[in-house]
Amino acid sequence: MATQDASSPAATPATYESGTRMALRQLLRNRAAAIGLFGVLLIVLLAIFAPWIIPYDPTAIALSSKLQPPSFAHWLGTDHFGRDVLARMAYGARVSLTVGLSTVAFAALFGVPIGLLAGYVGGQLDNVLMRLMDAFLTFPPLLLGVAIVGLLGADLTTVTLALGIVQIPVLARVVRSSTLVVREETYITATRALGAGAWRLVSQHILRNILSPLVVQITIVFSAAIVAEASLSFLGLGVQPPTPSWGRDLSEARRFMVDAPWLFMAPTGFIIVSVMAINFMGDSLRDALDPRSWVRRAAPTKETADAPADR
Amino acid sequence: MWSYLSKRIIQMPLVLVVVSITIFLIIRLTPGDPIQIMLGMQTSPEAVAALRAEFRLDEPWHMQYIYWVGDLLQGDFGRSIRLNAPVLQLLAERLPVSLALALSAMLFAVVVSIPLGLLAALKRNTWIDYLATGYTLFGFAVPNFALAMILIYVFSITLGWFPITGIGSGASTGQGLWGAIQPYVLPAVALGTLQTAIFTRLLRSSMIDVLNQDYMRTAQAKGLQPLVILLVHALKNAMIPFVTMLAIQFGYLIGIQVTIEHIFAIPGMGSAILSAVVNRDFPVIQGFVLVIATFFMLANILADILYGIIDPRIRY
Repeated sequence: MATQDASSPAATPATYESGTRMALRQLLRNRAAAIGLFGVLLIVLLAIFAPWIIPYDPTAIALSSKLQPPSFAHWLGTDHFGRDVLARMAYGARVSLTVGLSTVAFAALFGVPIGLLAGYVGGQLDNVLMRLMDAFLTFPPLLLGVAIVGLLGADLTTVTLALGIVQIPVLARVVRSSTLVVREETYITATRALGAGAWRLVSQHILRNILSPLVVQITIVFSAAIVAEASLSFLGLGVQPPTPSWGRDLSEARRFMVDAPWLFMAPTGFIIVSVMAINFMGDSLRDALDPRSWVRRAAPTKETADAPADR
Repeated sequence: MWSYLSKRIIQMPLVLVVVSITIFLIIRLTPGDPIQIMLGMQTSPEAVAALRAEFRLDEPWHMQYIYWVGDLLQGDFGRSIRLNAPVLQLLAERLPVSLALALSAMLFAVVVSIPLGLLAALKRNTWIDYLATGYTLFGFAVPNFALAMILIYVFSITLGWFPITGIGSGASTGQGLWGAIQPYVLPAVALGTLQTAIFTRLLRSSMIDVLNQDYMRTAQAKGLQPLVILLVHALKNAMIPFVTMLAIQFGYLIGIQVTIEHIFAIPGMGSAILSAVVNRDFPVIQGFVLVIATFFMLANILADILYGIIDPRIRY
């Protein structure tokens, strides 16, 4: 995909703006997208640069300073072990983002090929694959997570596996339905007439043209994974202490709701803000990537320019 | 429509077989022996072997599966290893609690979302529309357990209006009818807020669609009362996607209660599965997951039926 993206501006006449750039411009014009992007960036930067920004170790126990309310020294206060809450939130963001990213990668690794195969080949194979996906969709997602993580033991791999499995059918469905539409487009017929093989058709042309719904769905999977990881940790099944995790810290804060309410407010706030920021980004991406919402001349020129250029 | 539905209903057992084999495999192929966990390490190997044989845990997993399905077809869900009670009896205790909680969450979502979605569509780009949009964004972003903590902090700890636990424990502080409803309020709001957001957004957009239809102009041109137009012509049509979504979400609600049950100490199906997983109580996990998956599928089929009944244009 990357090579294709790099070569396409050359194939497109200079007077036309490329689809990617146009989408980017649309995105930047949108205020919700800007807020979402800002929120996501903030949390990502906090997670990456935590050791340099925050002068506390998230696991260092200092009982002399336990349960302190927010102050200049500890912006979000300290917990029952005297650990700095802001440090725990920043390092907890690492867990959330890692699980979110790896869940997306795992679900896409299986969901995208299954969806492409079902949508492109069709027929009996489509039927069998999609019924199988339907069966996986009937698993209550959180309970499957509880079963897998509870039985296999909690670490980042099992959590990712448990959360990713339920998202495979979600991605497969989106990819399949978009593939069904794209497969019938004239430019695909044209490319096939030019002698392109099935592999080239699917990997170069179909995959590229279903990217927008896929990317939007991926942001949804990403925020769902963050919530699901927090849920599992909240139930005591996620990453194990003393590793900081938003869900686990929230669960421990239940014992101190009367004496130290800031302990539950911090993880709650971090979860809500990050999920909201990702959702904002997803919604704006959907608008920006949908050529019908663009006012100016749009995608068709790009697509028609693509097919003959492939010779 | 009937041929489509019968196809869906015939597919149901097949899907349940896939679901149950998957859960069977996950359970059997993971380490952890329920008998060992229950009896501890000091027990004699003979006693362990005897108990393993009693629960057929010494058989290969596919034989266990066949025995399990055979018993299931005769209405026997097996016995809980941990509690030494029939799984069916446990289900009879837990299922009504989960259903009541899902119903109350649903009730909350419907009562809030219908007026909110309707007003947001009618008064587009006014403060009420922005309020509805803000509420929807919040509802989509807040996980139910985080919302439950906020609700407990505000309404139980600070204001003292509601008990923190209560369902199934008789700890309600209220009297009579209020005493029966009170313990359900906070869990229902925490559980149902996501659904409220889904319903509000759905009703708002389908209502806006309907309001732009030609038949709305016709109804106005005929000189019908605005209220009649709104309720009979607009709302009835806008409710089609809404009602099907109700059915789907109800099936979903039964499967996502585990965190809420955990916080409010509710003896529902989710907490039963959670403790069964911790104790490797295989028969309980299998039986409960199967029942929840069945509910989910039935809800989806119900949605299809409702869709066909409400909208005569839809033909499968």
